[in-house]
Amino acid sequence: MSTVSAVAAPTLRATDISKRFGGVVALDSVSIDVAAGQITGLVGDNGAGKSTLIRILSAVLTPDSGTIELQGQPVHFSSPADARAAGIETVYQDLALAGNLPVWANIFLGRELLRGPRALAILDKPRMAAEAKEMLSRLSRNMPPLDAPASRLSGGQRQAIAIARAAAWGSNVIIMDEPTAALGPAETRSVEEVILELRDRGFAVLIISHNLEQVFRLVDRVFVLRRGRMIGSRQLADITPEDLVAMITGASAIAAPQVQA
Amino acid sequence: MSEPLTPGQRAAELFRQYGIAVVFAALFVLLALTLPQFRTIANLTNVLQQNAVIGIIACAMTFAIISGGFDLSVGAGAALASVVGAKIIIEAGIPAGILGALLAGVILGLVNGWLIAYAGVNPFVATLGTATIVRGLIYVSTNATPFFGVPMSFTALGLGRTGPLPNATWIFLGVAIILAFVLHQTRFGHYVYAIGGNIVATAEMGVPVRRVKLLVYALVGVCAAIGGIILTGQTASGQPQAALNYELVAITAVIVGGASLGGGRGTMGGTILGVFLLGLVSNALNLYGVSAFWQPVATGVILVLAVAADGISRRSVFSLS
Repeated sequence: MSTVSAVAAPTLRATDISKRFGGVVALDSVSIDVAAGQITGLVGDNGAGKSTLIRILSAVLTPDSGTIELQGQPVHFSSPADARAAGIETVYQDLALAGNLPVWANIFLGRELLRGPRALAILDKPRMAAEAKEMLSRLSRNMPPLDAPASRLSGGQRQAIAIARAAAWGSNVIIMDEPTAALGPAETRSVEEVILELRDRGFAVLIISHNLEQVFRLVDRVFVLRRGRMIGSRQLADITPEDLVAMITGASAIAAPQVQA
Repeated sequence: MSEPLTPGQRAAELFRQYGIAVVFAALFVLLALTLPQFRTIANLTNVLQQNAVIGIIACAMTFAIISGGFDLSVGAGAALASVVGAKIIIEAGIPAGILGALLAGVILGLVNGWLIAYAGVNPFVATLGTATIVRGLIYVSTNATPFFGVPMSFTALGLGRTGPLPNATWIFLGVAIILAFVLHQTRFGHYVYAIGGNIVATAEMGVPVRRVKLLVYALVGVCAAIGGIILTGQTASGQPQAALNYELVAITAVIVGGASLGGGRGTMGGTILGVFLLGLVSNALNLYGVSAFWQPVATGVILVLAVAADGISRRSVFSLS
């Protein structure tokens, strides 16, 4: 797989991205690319700039400098809605679910299906429920009850809904910020299956993870940020966990000889 | 994974959904059996008539409360509509007066909505502020005394009847049906629930949350004005003191009807039951010859009991154990 992906053109490429907050340099000329049909990992210590980078990719923040290309074309997003319209969906850690709304309503939140005269904007609840069911059944074996309020569901089910929503609306790139951080082992496993399913369906998947075992289980290629700088990227097949830890912490340079990128 | 509910949780859930209806029905049957005066058509019509204005305001208040806010300016808004409407009716006729009163309500609502949604003022502070300002301006401009001159024909609106029901009740019925439809069937109503459930998430998903909130308070302003017009129609006069404390009664009715001040929860049916539960209790106190001073006591007791019962039932449904 890594040989195939190595030649694939990146779906999303960000080049020389810099971002300061006041006097603090959050990102210093950082570049990253994410390819279709692959899971790309983004790792780094707390404060390394991971969240800032994905917020720039999903247009929550605008970079001070740098360029972003989507499928080879330069893009300039001025709001998250622009990024979403371009097929880039982001699953944040808070999951952006309304706990009082049923599952189907969360999947369609902000994109409700309507019926009848347009001016009245009447919800087409049966159609949303039916389509939500289909979206979830494609992804998740552990199907949450469609009419249950999101607050009633388990953490894994909530994560599955947020991911299903991203997959349903995203056409190119799905970005996930620590998708399993709050989950137990069994739920982590089922969410990981969902993530692999997204990869197999051809999405370019970018995940932030603190869990290096998970990175080795899921990820095809990993980017390492340290203190706002991109230390480098590696195919997972080419490195050991010790190499990755060394890159993240900067503890040792002995990992350097294995560099292939 | 989501476990099936235990029998205890199911009972609590049923109570949350139907408790108010059961209490209402039980009280109604009890009164009908024990008080012959209660079950007369005249008395029941009277109950409908007396609760129409508070009902109209409570229906709109339901939107504000589900969205996570509330509106303390509805009493002042109704008085504003009464005074402005009566002035214009005297000067320029009934249609212009009604229009002017509604416009005054919309403007007050838009000011509240702008303060809350765009300036980020807490709903308590924003609507307490506008309520105080509006009531003060009304007192200044009228010397706090009612003024007459509205044609007596206008009392048809407040006191008249069409068919079996008082006209005010027909208006309440119309408002309730329209607002129930808007709340439960349209995208706007859906967004009101979404905002009350998680405003950050709703905004992240691209919903124009500020505009929705602005419209919610505009709607409350309109309904307060409709209430004020009906009050004007009950006395054929402009009433600076109209609708005092209506905000608290309306909020109480909505909460008793199952909505949560935390937002995200409530139904139009629950609110209507809440309005009439309070109405029945006040009617019963009247018929039993209890002093009117006891009515706020009864209302307060119902409010506290309803919220406590709801809190206990919720804790058992959502217990994390």
